[in-house]
Amino acid sequence: MRALVVLLTLSLAACGGSEDGGDAASQGPSVPVAGREGALKTAPLERAKRRAFDGAPPTIPHQPMGVNCTACHNERGMDVDGVGFAPPSPHERTEGLSSISRCEQCHVFRTTDATFVANSFVGLPQDLRPGPRAYDGAPPVLPHAFLMHENCLACHSGPAAREEIRTSHPERENCVQCHVTQSSPAIFTR
Amino acid sequence: MESLSRRSLIFGASSVVALSASDQAKAEVLTTSGALDPVEGDVTWSKAPCRYCGTGCGVEVAVQDGKAVAVRGDEKAEVNKGLLCVKGYHLPAMLYGTDRLTKPLARQADGSLKAVSWDEAFDMIASRYGDALEEFGPESVGMYGSGQWTIFDGYAALKWVKGGLRSNHLDPNARLCMASAVMGFMTQFQSDEPMGCYDDFELGDDFVLWGNNMAEMHPVLFSRILEHKRKNPNVRIVDIATRRTATSHYADTYIEMTPGSDLALANGILHLIVANGKVDKKFVEENIVFKRGIEDLDKIGYGIEEDTNERYTFKDEGRASSLEELETFLEDYTPEKVSAITGVPEGLIRALGELYGNPQRGTVSLWCMGVNQHVRGTWMNNLITDLHLITGKISRPGSNPFSLTGQPSACGTAREVGTLSNRLPADMLVTVEAHRQRTEEIWGLEAGTIPAKPGYHAVDMFRAFARGDLKCLWVQTTNPWVSMPNLHRVTKPEGSFLVVSDIYPTPTTDQADLILPSAAWIEREGMFGNTERRTQHWDKLIEPPGEAKEDAWQIIEVAKRMGMGHLFPWATEEGGDWHRPMFEEYRSFTVGIGKDLASYDQLREARGLRWPVVDGKETRYRYAEGHDPYAKKSVHFYKAKKNGEKAAFWLRPYQPPAEIPDGEYPFWLCTGRVLEHWHTGSMTRRVPELHQAMPEAYVEVNRADAQELGIQEGQLVRLVTRRGSLELSARIDGRGATPRGSIFVPFFDENLLINELTLDAMDNISKEPDYKKCAVRIEAVRE
Repeated sequence: MRALVVLLTLSLAACGGSEDGGDAASQGPSVPVAGREGALKTAPLERAKRRAFDGAPPTIPHQPMGVNCTACHNERGMDVDGVGFAPPSPHERTEGLSSISRCEQCHVFRTTDATFVANSFVGLPQDLRPGPRAYDGAPPVLPHAFLMHENCLACHSGPAAREEIRTSHPERENCVQCHVTQSSPAIFTR
Repeated sequence: MESLSRRSLIFGASSVVALSASDQAKAEVLTTSGALDPVEGDVTWSKAPCRYCGTGCGVEVAVQDGKAVAVRGDEKAEVNKGLLCVKGYHLPAMLYGTDRLTKPLARQADGSLKAVSWDEAFDMIASRYGDALEEFGPESVGMYGSGQWTIFDGYAALKWVKGGLRSNHLDPNARLCMASAVMGFMTQFQSDEPMGCYDDFELGDDFVLWGNNMAEMHPVLFSRILEHKRKNPNVRIVDIATRRTATSHYADTYIEMTPGSDLALANGILHLIVANGKVDKKFVEENIVFKRGIEDLDKIGYGIEEDTNERYTFKDEGRASSLEELETFLEDYTPEKVSAITGVPEGLIRALGELYGNPQRGTVSLWCMGVNQHVRGTWMNNLITDLHLITGKISRPGSNPFSLTGQPSACGTAREVGTLSNRLPADMLVTVEAHRQRTEEIWGLEAGTIPAKPGYHAVDMFRAFARGDLKCLWVQTTNPWVSMPNLHRVTKPEGSFLVVSDIYPTPTTDQADLILPSAAWIEREGMFGNTERRTQHWDKLIEPPGEAKEDAWQIIEVAKRMGMGHLFPWATEEGGDWHRPMFEEYRSFTVGIGKDLASYDQLREARGLRWPVVDGKETRYRYAEGHDPYAKKSVHFYKAKKNGEKAAFWLRPYQPPAEIPDGEYPFWLCTGRVLEHWHTGSMTRRVPELHQAMPEAYVEVNRADAQELGIQEGQLVRLVTRRGSLELSARIDGRGATPRGSIFVPFFDENLLINELTLDAMDNISKEPDYKKCAVRIEAVRE
């Protein structure tokens, strides 16, 4: 079962910053980080560190840079000296929310590791299953929410994309032409 | 396919990612727990409004094994269309601070706290309140509530205090944030709450923000304006403020004014509208009466003079005025004179005159605490609405004055239920006999039960408590020992009895004789009413911790022990749900008068509905024909019966703030919020991500001032006012940038109590304190 999950997994929607493998990945998929299984074991941890639960906006993994976020996290992303690759925003194509205008509305810096009072909250963990496919070779259904993640290539291609979720066909820009969201488990009835 | 349903199958146990623990702990859990093995676990997603601000964003809460484990923006919610802010995205952790109050705690003679049963706790309240009633009468007992109360809590409190204790000493913390807006709407329309709604954020052309840092305080609504502007480049945002904020960054025009001079600026705009012939004469003739109130500063005061320092009861008196009188009145507000008072260049005043006077463009005025927490806050509310009345830019899609609220149910509970010392449900007042009678009738109480004299407003309530006049006080869902102005005056005398219901220990529970553990947010059923008249219901989704119980239940149980069980006939011993009948009784106050709330059943299903809801249909624009079923002509102010169903335009002059910087205290002190924390931080500071982003309060200092005073970034400085002093670290041009001669301090930090320095001067009509303007000295601390 585990092997199957590993092989099929396309679900690690981890829009990683560079410190969890972006630089290594930028040298090409042939450079192994820790083997495919190893990458799967470490990537969710790196990803979870910055999120209260799966789906929470990640906290910012670097120090304030003194510039607008989009100066580096621009349409193509940017390699920043000493920091790593700044991926593009997955919200770039989000309609109706102006979500790229105010990054700091949802993403905050971590200025201390201290807490005011200890907290026992345990967040929903990341769902690591791949998106379902109708048959072997069929385009998988999106395994995560589409809202706020409309810019698929931000996470699924480019130097910051993890090997295991990198698309083999970034040139076909309109991802949702073949990959659909499952908004209801119900089946059609007349 | 069924086994692949993404919502029912989750990998790993819920403890896989122990996100609030240290990262090291996370690492161990993830690498040793076999996170890749699928484990069945039921995750259900349910709707609720966000717990924090007055925006009322819809969230969906994930519950697994009886615990909240995640939230997401509700894509079906019209308010936020799936987006949240950082506070909303981290809602669930707010419930899981390890110091949650889980048992009633009684203060012992030695100051320690002892766990007691609910029965003992209720008996204690019933006996202390009963004794005070017997010995000193209803004037000696009271309750201080909250704009965070659900509608159920507020209704239970109102009925118990006014119908049971026969006291009007019931006031909410909303007195500190929304009272000026209430009095603005009441004096002009004889009905509270805005005519417009959030739809204006996609329909307006010009958005004028009066002292309102929307980007941090109403971030999701500001996102809607920004998106509208992105699609329509002609849209303009004008930010009128006393400090550059995150909002100013996105504004087309930033207009900086001297603190308190907004009254002069608004009159200056009115002057230009009249002088430029931009008055909508037909609209004015058909829909407006002119009025003028008391303007003698000696008579009015600020609530801190010798004769008003304990009890501030000034009452305004209106007299008829006219457009002609207005023209004369406005001679004092030429661009030249207004520029001298406000510091705003004449050109910008003229630009605002053009903007408001342009009939081709929709104008939306937005305001919140800058205008409300103001010694002439009601006047300023009046003046902003005047700008819309005289130009006819009101009750039209895309053109309205729109008052934003700060608490999730300041509108739904404090204002609509009427948990203020002078109010009853649905715009009614204790001072009007017919209103008392109507209330007594619905409540089935004998005539004369509700007293006619208004009770203490918030500031006077704590003054009376400190004096010993108010013997028993029950505080629910708020933290006055952090949030009241001039905190040195907020004290608890020997022999008084203070009950505090809350979810966490706070400086207020530190004072309490009895602490009651409350159920929070989704741990109980609730309803909130947001800024745009939208009532939102949520179901109880998880159990509260320990013995914590909802606030309304606490009140009902005390009422029963005091022989007032008849007030809550649906809360029977056998149990059964009292929420529905309680709401339906409350709703009967609202039906048929243009305040119509939707039915309980409809609200349970809907993503909120905006009242008046008639025949199941909500109303986007009040007083507007075709939108509001009560409106009989294009724009119809049908609630303003005393003025022939016309709105009142009030002539209101400029008067200076209560305290102005001088040689000894040369700076302006302004206080407020930051994005990450909500109010006194009792919830948000317990959320690790929010605390770690904004761990403590600070003071914003202007760069040139800092240089002159020898203050470095991060340096400890001492602030001194006539009331007190406080040491905290300086930020120079941080996320906000104050102009020369001004400093800003957020109030969320219970360890750095800026309200020990603020002034308890109040608005003359609403009695809302002014947290935005007092005089302060700033000194570098040499270590």
